[in-house]
Amino acid sequence: MIGPGIKRGTAELAVLSVLEDGPLHGYELARRIEQQTKGALRFTLAALYPMLYRMEQRGWIRGSWETSQQGRRRRCYRLTAAGKTKLSPLRKEWSELFSALRRLTKVSHA
Amino acid sequence: MRNWEAIVERQLNGLALEPAESTEVIAELAAHLAETCEEFRRQGITEEEAARRTLSQVEDWQKLSRLIRKARTKENVMTNRVKQFWLPSLLTLFLSMGLLMLIQSLGPNPWIAARRSGWSLIAPVAVIYLPWLFLLPLIGALGAYLSNRAGGSQRAMLTSIVFPVLPYFVFFLLALPVTVLFNESLGHNIMFIALFLGLLVWVVAPGAALLAGGVLARTFLSRRSDARGIAGG
Repeated sequence: MIGPGIKRGTAELAVLSVLEDGPLHGYELARRIEQQTKGALRFTLAALYPMLYRMEQRGWIRGSWETSQQGRRRRCYRLTAAGKTKLSPLRKEWSELFSALRRLTKVSHA
Repeated sequence: MRNWEAIVERQLNGLALEPAESTEVIAELAAHLAETCEEFRRQGITEEEAARRTLSQVEDWQKLSRLIRKARTKENVMTNRVKQFWLPSLLTLFLSMGLLMLIQSLGPNPWIAARRSGWSLIAPVAVIYLPWLFLLPLIGALGAYLSNRAGGSQRAMLTSIVFPVLPYFVFFLLALPVTVLFNESLGHNIMFIALFLGLLVWVVAPGAALLAGGVLARTFLSRRSDARGIAGG
């Protein structure tokens, strides 16, 4: 079973990685993550916003209100310098974890 | 066209953020829900079903409200704990003790349960203040309401409801084993039975009365919250 710590870590990595490509509002961010992971990672509203607000408090992302061409007001999130700094070691950490798991799985199947 | 902002505002009742901040959160979540619903509609789903699926993204609005508040407040843990636990707990404690003192001084007389031998009562004697027990559910309900309004967790709410009997409970928890150990040397063979009777009268019965009111209030509040969500939809 995947614990809440692992889940939170993957979710934060997913958000930071997607925002690296450019600012997005919450709904689009959730959709983008779902599309890019082919549905493996899905965020409901209840899971997404507490995490976005937490990340904003930590200074990794910054939200600002923008008005779309259709006149709809939405809060767009962009990666901050602190977020960019956080992303690099986070990627390394997860890459190491996945490599370790891959190695372990091979050993287990041998 | 649904008024998603009104729905979110009702569901997140008790968000306990600064008004401007609350408005911002409500507007953001409402925009998300509106877009989700529109996406379902584009897929050819009926409006009713689209709204139902959209709202099903949030299983527990109270929990979401708590998580948002926690995420957006930096070092506000103490304030939340005071509002969600200590305030309802101390209020139920003072009301319950005050009410008991009032009944003890103004009457009616308590019901005394004991075996009789002629005109005299045989110890142990149980002194039961029935009006107090009958009024305790109201105090329990008040505790549940206050904790629920402040966005308290289920554990905080239940503890604040039974808080008035906790001092008694701790007393009996300490006194019962001591009595069992020293019953013989104390030479009071009735002590253990008396304490057990006290536990029933001062902990179990008032605790059950407080919980009955508190749980009923909690059920009523959560049903009202659900009904508001449906009506607002």
